Amino acid sequence: MKFGLFYELSVPRPWGENEYKVYHRALEQVRLADELGFDQVWAVEHHFLEEYSHCSAPELFLTACAAQTKNIRVGRGIVVCVPEFTHPIKIAEQAGVLDIISNGRLEFGTGRSATWTELGGFGVDPDETKKTWDEITRVLPKMWTQERFGYQGRCFSMPERAILPKPIQKPHPPMWVAVTSPGTELDAADRGMGSLGLTFGTFADQETKIAEYRRRIRYCEPVGEVVNEQVNTVSFLYCHEDDEVGTKTGLRISGTFNYLAEQLLAARQAYPSRSYPNLGLLPNLRRQSQAVDEVSVPEGLSVGNPDRIITAIKKWESVGVDRINFLLNALEIVPQEDVLKSMRLFAKEVMPHFKGSTVQVGPRMSMPMHADVAAGGL
Amino acid sequence: MPLAGTRDIAELVAESASMPDVKTEPWTLKDVSILQVMYEIRQGAMLSLLPSSLGPTIPPTLVFTVIAAHESEIGPFTVAEVRVGCRAGARPRSFLARAYTDSPAAAEALATRWGYPIGLADVRLRPGYDRVRLEVKLDGKPILEAAMLNPEAISGSDVQWLPNVHLARIQRDGVEIARIIQVDPDFIYHKADRGKPELTSFDADAWRLAGAEPWWPVSASHVKADMTLPRIRFVLDPSKPAVAGVERVG
Repeated sequence: MKFGLFYELSVPRPWGENEYKVYHRALEQVRLADELGFDQVWAVEHHFLEEYSHCSAPELFLTACAAQTKNIRVGRGIVVCVPEFTHPIKIAEQAGVLDIISNGRLEFGTGRSATWTELGGFGVDPDETKKTWDEITRVLPKMWTQERFGYQGRCFSMPERAILPKPIQKPHPPMWVAVTSPGTELDAADRGMGSLGLTFGTFADQETKIAEYRRRIRYCEPVGEVVNEQVNTVSFLYCHEDDEVGTKTGLRISGTFNYLAEQLLAARQAYPSRSYPNLGLLPNLRRQSQAVDEVSVPEGLSVGNPDRIITAIKKWESVGVDRINFLLNALEIVPQEDVLKSMRLFAKEVMPHFKGSTVQVGPRMSMPMHADVAAGGL
Repeated sequence: MPLAGTRDIAELVAESASMPDVKTEPWTLKDVSILQVMYEIRQGAMLSLLPSSLGPTIPPTLVFTVIAAHESEIGPFTVAEVRVGCRAGARPRSFLARAYTDSPAAAEALATRWGYPIGLADVRLRPGYDRVRLEVKLDGKPILEAAMLNPEAISGSDVQWLPNVHLARIQRDGVEIARIIQVDPDFIYHKADRGKPELTSFDADAWRLAGAEPWWPVSASHVKADMTLPRIRFVLDPSKPAVAGVERVG
């Protein structure tokens, strides 16, 4: 089991001052996570999502994370693979730079956006996004691995050019698919990509989906040059010696996050389309992380004292999850010092129950340090 | 925290429907035709359109809807609504300040049983193969003209419409009090189309939405469906935030 952080970067009003605080507190958390042995930090790509997420340039945020840390891997969670958001060439180039700056620590998540707030803002036809995601995820590995790349496609075309710089991970960074809609985990499996779960779900739901993912990926046609068979899920983390304090605070974080999420306009609520058969991440987050009553903790949330959290994570492990990413705060309702304490306690009391017990599932990516970098050169 | 409405609701309450009993029975209307057109509105007025217990969506929207019931126990009728996309706490809703119908019997039923703030007007839904138009005239003057152009078939399961919320006066311990009523119809879709939205006339004052400026087209859809107006399950105290003011009915 590997652990990570997951950033939406939610910012309370007034934004001007608070955006600065949120970004710099997040960087402090990432530096601590690196020291404590967390394995990964992921950042979303969202635009226009007031308060909920001010993480519109994750490639820059993650570059700062990479520059301030040594070991923690940096994940684009996810890159919106829609040309109106970012041209595929720039997506490939940004990944190359981040992989170099991070010394080969990039994890590359892909997705397509699920809100009218964003799709409408960029003038995107919601019917097109699944198609553009599919096309772009197929060409990115070629852009990274071929010296020169030319393409005549559906959502974009280009004459042969050298797309530079290239990632230093060989053959290329691990690729993931954001899984919010039911069935997308199968899209991930069929393409040989990791399942980057962004909804909570019950253990039973997840176990069934993971089993089917594992079965399907054996017959996949990989979009890249390597299969990334891993399952990543997301949860909230608040760890405290006092279980009541831990659970109450954790539930406040999840409740605040979900409340913010619902203020946005889901694509399906605005634009009837087969491309968005459900409301995506937002209502799933709300439904599945809500407590049944005021004292119970929804299944799978990592909130409470270390024992409670260990139990929850063991269960995740038993249903086949390889990695868990944690949201640490929402709207800064928990003071930074308490967030850092929660991380330290988690690292001290919970991580030892899992470190070293990682089961290697499927082929893994080689992540060599570039020889010249290792030699201190270039 | 998310934004909340700033609207003084006194005028809306004064002309709201008076409901003798919120425990109403469901009403199924077979094979209704519904056109819905959505526009984004300019954000300057988004807070002044909503009571303080509701918040705007991001971005704020207006939803123009006409429902034509060709057969019902009170005869055929057509209803027009203009609603403001909103949230009641974490719940997606749309706030109705004023509706119009061409049928006095429908106005009576919708006002007394579901608390609709509704008046009489000339309401038309004109389906065509190239476009589906809606027109509402009040005292002979157009107050709403919109259309869906170039219809293309989609699945009814692709359509998701937001439940209504509107102000009404209800009885509580012999006293009349203001409450926001939630009406979330059920639909069984028989046919659905999606097309390009077009808005050619909108009198915001007539819809009690002064300052609303729809300017960015979002979507248009037209369905044939069986629609059931349900029992009222929740009302909301308009003086409180939605998370604190929800009251279960029955």
